Amino acid sequence: MDLINQSVKKWDHDPKISGAAKYVDDLRIKDMVHGKILRSTIASGTIKEIRIPTLPEGYLIVDQHDIPGKNNVHIVDDDSPCYSDGTVNFVGEAILMVVGEDMKVLDKILSEIVVVYEEHTPVLDMMKSDVIFYQYGYTKGDPDQAFQEADQILDETFTTGYQEHIYMEVQGMIGFYKDGKSTVRGSMQCPYYVHSAVKMVMGLPDQQVQIIQDEMGGAFGGKEDYPSILGAQVAVAAKKAGRPVKCVLDRREDITCTSKRHPATMHYRAAIKDKKITAIDAYAVYDCGAFTTLSKVVLQRGLIGATGVYTFDNIRVNGKGVRTNTTPNGAFRGFGGPQTFFAIEMFMNHIARAIGKDPFELKQQYLSKKGDITATNGLYHFDIPFPEMIEKLFKESGYPEKYQQYKHQTGRTRKGIGLSLTYHGCGFTGAGERDLIKGVVRLKKNYNDTVEILTAGTDMGQGLKTAFVKIVAQTLGVPMHQIIIANPDTDRVPNSGPTAASRSLMVVGKLLERAAVKLKDIWVSEEEQEVEEHYVHPEFTIPWDTENFQGDPYPDNSWSANVVEVEIDTLTGVADIVGAWGVYDVGTPVDKMIVIGQMEGGLLQAVGYGSMELMDANNKGVIRNNSLSDYIIPTAMDVPVLKTDVINNPYVVGPFGGKGAGELPAVGGAPAYVAAMESALGIDLHHTPFSQEDTLKALEAMKK
Amino acid sequence: MVIVENGYIPADLAEALKIRGEQTVIPYAGGTDLMVDAEDHAYLFLNKVPELKRISEDETYLKIGAAATFTEILNYPGTPEILKAAIHYLAAPAIRNMATAGGNVSNASPKADSSLIFYVSDTLLKLASAKGERILPIEDFITGRGKTALQADELLVEFLMPKKGLENYYYEKVGARKALAISRVAFAGLFNMEGERITRCAAAFGSVADVVLRFRDFEAMMIGLTLPEAKAVKSEFLAKYDQAIVPIRGRVSADYRKHVCMNLLEDFLTQNGI
Ligand SMILES: Cc1cc2nc3c(=O)[nH]c(=O)nc-3n(C[C@H](O)[C@H](O)[C@H](O)COP(=O)(O)OP(=O)(O)OC[C@H]3O[C@@H](n4cnc5c(N)ncnc54)[C@H](O)[C@@H]3O)c2cc1C
Repeated sequence: MDLINQSVKKWDHDPKISGAAKYVDDLRIKDMVHGKILRSTIASGTIKEIRIPTLPEGYLIVDQHDIPGKNNVHIVDDDSPCYSDGTVNFVGEAILMVVGEDMKVLDKILSEIVVVYEEHTPVLDMMKSDVIFYQYGYTKGDPDQAFQEADQILDETFTTGYQEHIYMEVQGMIGFYKDGKSTVRGSMQCPYYVHSAVKMVMGLPDQQVQIIQDEMGGAFGGKEDYPSILGAQVAVAAKKAGRPVKCVLDRREDITCTSKRHPATMHYRAAIKDKKITAIDAYAVYDCGAFTTLSKVVLQRGLIGATGVYTFDNIRVNGKGVRTNTTPNGAFRGFGGPQTFFAIEMFMNHIARAIGKDPFELKQQYLSKKGDITATNGLYHFDIPFPEMIEKLFKESGYPEKYQQYKHQTGRTRKGIGLSLTYHGCGFTGAGERDLIKGVVRLKKNYNDTVEILTAGTDMGQGLKTAFVKIVAQTLGVPMHQIIIANPDTDRVPNSGPTAASRSLMVVGKLLERAAVKLKDIWVSEEEQEVEEHYVHPEFTIPWDTENFQGDPYPDNSWSANVVEVEIDTLTGVADIVGAWGVYDVGTPVDKMIVIGQMEGGLLQAVGYGSMELMDANNKGVIRNNSLSDYIIPTAMDVPVLKTDVINNPYVVGPFGGKGAGELPAVGGAPAYVAAMESALGIDLHHTPFSQEDTLKALEAMKK
Repeated sequence: MVIVENGYIPADLAEALKIRGEQTVIPYAGGTDLMVDAEDHAYLFLNKVPELKRISEDETYLKIGAAATFTEILNYPGTPEILKAAIHYLAAPAIRNMATAGGNVSNASPKADSSLIFYVSDTLLKLASAKGERILPIEDFITGRGKTALQADELLVEFLMPKKGLENYYYEKVGARKALAISRVAFAGLFNMEGERITRCAAAFGSVADVVLRFRDFEAMMIGLTLPEAKAVKSEFLAKYDQAIVPIRGRVSADYRKHVCMNLLEDFLTQNGI
């Protein structure tokens, strides 16, 4: 392996491990007061009256009437209000903020406020919603004819549940207002997203808004959209209070009102002729919740991946994102992919069994390779290293032998093993990088020859700082300690785009590499110098047509192959995870240790999505599992054997051969887990999470 | 004794009982239940009281001080496997370093992992006040969900766990995951024979009702029977439990809880040759 893979101490290791790092909740700022948000307790209604008790001195209420600009938080579309516009659309929607010094007094005031609602019947079931936020579709080949000529048609429905991020650090922001300028700092993935949101809500020009990212205790996509909302709320509060206002959510509040992975219902049909799949027809419904936030792009990614890693001649994919009176869903590692990938992976297993084939054999038969035409009539431009990955995976996990061995078991415990093959498209979908983001980076060389990296990229624990420093130091040929990288402050850093979409290393890292080459060229010791680089779109791609979903949605994909092995107890329905294995292609891993860490964590998170991460709302739309004792995520004890590996498949266009890595492991864990449950139970399964209770139900049904 | 801002740290049991008798204080052992919802109230800190931390044994009983932590209990050489099995799946090491058996039982939750073992093993609880002591079975101590027979001047001092016949046990905890999981259903069984005859067929069910369930009258059916005789009444025995257990619905359905209880009870009998 190259020098770039060699693991170094993570850039943020010392401050985080020693406890020196300061998170929003740790920050004490002169004259600062606290804000607590009054939230809707009903899922749908109109506010008739709000009765506020007499407030003690120094306490105030902030609501929609205090918004200097527009009561719209800009995300992709602008429908999310900053504070309720007089209607409430989900349980947890922000109505107003109470601001003051003492948190206990704030709690008391909140408990005394009475909101009188006119209640409306909420729409809680996505399948009953008639408000369509987004709708897309595309066709490849002639699926109609294939279905007409089929000698067998398979028809199945798959559902996937919520997934909550459970970042260790809850959402939190501090707003400031001074001399006509709004400053917001806090836990966020995308400072420039918060920047445009605050600008619009505060009615301020660009330079009068400053956003600073503080140390971030995890995000997983959950701090891509929501910080824009909370950021706008504290900005408004700070202006009214005339003092800095901090608002850190409580864990229950955070789980109740911040975005989650979209639940989905997916209807798949396959046309079979002579034991071959001649067409796939997929229809996906994503539950967006009450407002659109990032649903548009989440749905797009989900639909693009609807036929997984396979190449079929005839495909029809349609889908819609619908409104319900539930918490708006947003970005979550995998970004729309885990839903449809779950469906296609399970569907392939089921088709295989229906036509008397081994699932892996069938998958192999349709596996995409370089030169194949993609579902959207784009092209797989590069080598798809599945053969090498699968060989590695099978050697580690013993999948082929075990799969045979685990057929027809009896006795109290039964084992099962499942496989999944997935990809994640690197970067923004389509021409987003070129047309929307237009990323810019800067390198600033100081007089003492230290070089500061200036980007809007944020480190949420994923290792971004370390990777950027490595790329710049190695390109310049200087030691790493000569490089400076701080948390972004929009007053100082150019807009290199959001830290999302597994784009930072591939896109921003590449810009930094190019900037470093440029700087090296002009390098004069003991002189202040600065270079800037702008995004250049790779020329080889087939342009993406957003209207018709045609072309190359991503310049390249990252690939993953996963196996999960379980042992179920037929008396209790409890499934022990015997092992989980993953082999990944993320291009050249820029720091192998960090990549492996991300793959392990992501795979564990994805196994949780498939098994125990159950989130439930009651018939009034109130989320029941809003605490860490109720919303169960896996621990290290749950997957004692967790082995991940990467192969080295340099991506020619990426920095040092690197491409997207962050989201990839979150895609394949659930289908591998549920496939393992199928293998143990000997039946076809159709949903996540597949719980202990589901397992026992299946076993009891078999007894009958 | 040390008096701190939020309560008292007595040096020994006598001091602890004196304060308990004179002040309105909340007994505090490991704080792992209490601190989830901390109150502005005076606490009586028991975690440094030597008499309450002691673990010892005599001929008949294993004696566990109410403020002994689960880690200490786990490390004590004389701790029976059935109790260790339960502790092993109680919370996680960091919590077990603080959490005590006294706190677990006093909390009076049907989900308390150690309570289940104390129920099935006929463990006695010693309570004390400045005025004296009393000893009562755990079934009489826990009077309902979150309710105990503890008087305002009393402390739980010690568990007296009968040592005999604990080897042949059956234990299963169903949690939502492998660590840091409150039980959804838990089952503990003890089975003993003398010669050909059954002397104990104890079964306790956790997390299915307001308190841990144990049906001594059903168990009595089995006492004195030979295995073939027990087999003959097996279905009648199971039917009684099937009727008596009416689980509550929570994060898992009542139906699930019921199935698991019955599956485990039946397996407990099967494993013991019935
Ligand atoms: C993360 C987490 C995970 C957990 N997992 C589990 C689990 O898996 N299984 C489980 O059973 N429990 C679990 N618990 C609950 C808790 O840890 C246990 O119930 C523990 O045994 C409580 O003991 P403690 O010493 O901390 O009690 P405390 O919090 O100190 O006290 C609990 C109650 O008992 C009273 N009390 C304590 N000692 C005495 C005494 N000597 N006399 C009279 N009253 C007394 C207190 O006043 C209080 O009402 C968990 C808790 C946490 C925070």
